[in-house]
Amino acid sequence: MKLTNMTGLYVPAKSPLHRLDARAKFFGFLILVAAVILTDTLYGYAIIVAVTIALATMCGMPLGTAFASVRRLWSVFIIIFIMNAFFFATEEPIWHWWIITLSKAGMLQGFSVVFRILIIMVLSNILTLTTPPMEITGAIQLMLKPLNLLRIPADDIAMIISVAIQFIPTLLEETDTIKKAQIARGARFESKKLRERAAAFLPLLVPIFLSAFKRADELAMAMEARGYRGAKNRTKKKSVPMNGKAWLALVLCTAICAAEIII
Amino acid sequence: MSKMSTVKKSIITAVCIALCYALPLLFHGVQNAGIIFTPMHIPVFICGLVCGWQYGLLCGIAGPALSSAMTGMPPAAMLPSMMVELAVYGVVTGLLMKVVRTKNTVADLYICLIAAIILGRAMNAVTKALIFAKGEFALGTWVTGTLLVSWPGILIQLVFIPTVVVALMKAHLIPERYPRLED
Repeated sequence: MKLTNMTGLYVPAKSPLHRLDARAKFFGFLILVAAVILTDTLYGYAIIVAVTIALATMCGMPLGTAFASVRRLWSVFIIIFIMNAFFFATEEPIWHWWIITLSKAGMLQGFSVVFRILIIMVLSNILTLTTPPMEITGAIQLMLKPLNLLRIPADDIAMIISVAIQFIPTLLEETDTIKKAQIARGARFESKKLRERAAAFLPLLVPIFLSAFKRADELAMAMEARGYRGAKNRTKKKSVPMNGKAWLALVLCTAICAAEIII
Repeated sequence: MSKMSTVKKSIITAVCIALCYALPLLFHGVQNAGIIFTPMHIPVFICGLVCGWQYGLLCGIAGPALSSAMTGMPPAAMLPSMMVELAVYGVVTGLLMKVVRTKNTVADLYICLIAAIILGRAMNAVTKALIFAKGEFALGTWVTGTLLVSWPGILIQLVFIPTVVVALMKAHLIPERYPRLED
């Protein structure tokens, strides 16, 4: 697999986004996620798509790199959309047969869910592509700093959350692979009966947990082999105040979020 | 493998938080799957059972918060009561795994799991009645929601969580609870 095609992995480059302060990128990401969740109009969707494409272009890599995780999960998105479109609502049906009801509300719900997941995945991919993991952890540490006053180990919590965010694309891909393997063995994920559909999902649980814990084991071993003994014992470089460009980026993200709320 | 290091417990917690996001997506094709099958509860129980109460608590709080922030599920209105419920699951399973020792791994897991399910659901009702849905809380609705609607989720938890934990022990990914002498 090419390095630039991997998701959740930092790829060094000299783009404007790479040079931007990690704290501004992380807090800007959170503000844009809020904007994605708050939007529910066509203009709102158009603005957020334009912003996402602009950011993907700005990261100085082929556009496909930022969208790599989304491309690999197209089958999951289609399934989520179809399930919502045909099973979400029974009122005002466009087409109805037995327990299957194609409705406008269902299609809109399917589009909304897929759109939000897709955009947030691309945004998180852009964040991890352009920001070294240590700097993401530093930004989360800053966010959790007030917890230190209550003697809660904010540094360790920041490390755990940062690893969790980086694990999400990997786990989604792994889940998709296991699901496809089960379909090849005859699992019926698209069955009309709720019991059959649910039963098809259950055999996925054990392999998903085994594979996730195997990855956790390998990562923990690698970290210990490199001398990691917990965030408390870590040394870190002196933090510098955010520059003008970082503040400008944050103001722009806030303006986009405000525009989504007003629209 | 005798004991897990803090680093490994931290990484397992991170993976369980990520699974709190990934597992509900897997079930999303089934209508009302979140309420009926409660897929987000499973990683929290496993984190508490495997890593201990502190890690279970973190997973119970951060898992639904991260999922809500990234996908809007659970919705913001449900998030606080769900975070309390899942945090109780993580804490109770972790604490009981320290105390309960029947010399049988599966029996230990079931005792911890059943106690956590009861206490977590009870705490969810108490917090809804006193804080999050004060004045709107009806015991009948809660019982319907907890037992009649989500019984498949409880069944899945009782069948699959001990199976997953034992499978992880057999795969030597976590330490055996009662190691045999020849190991």
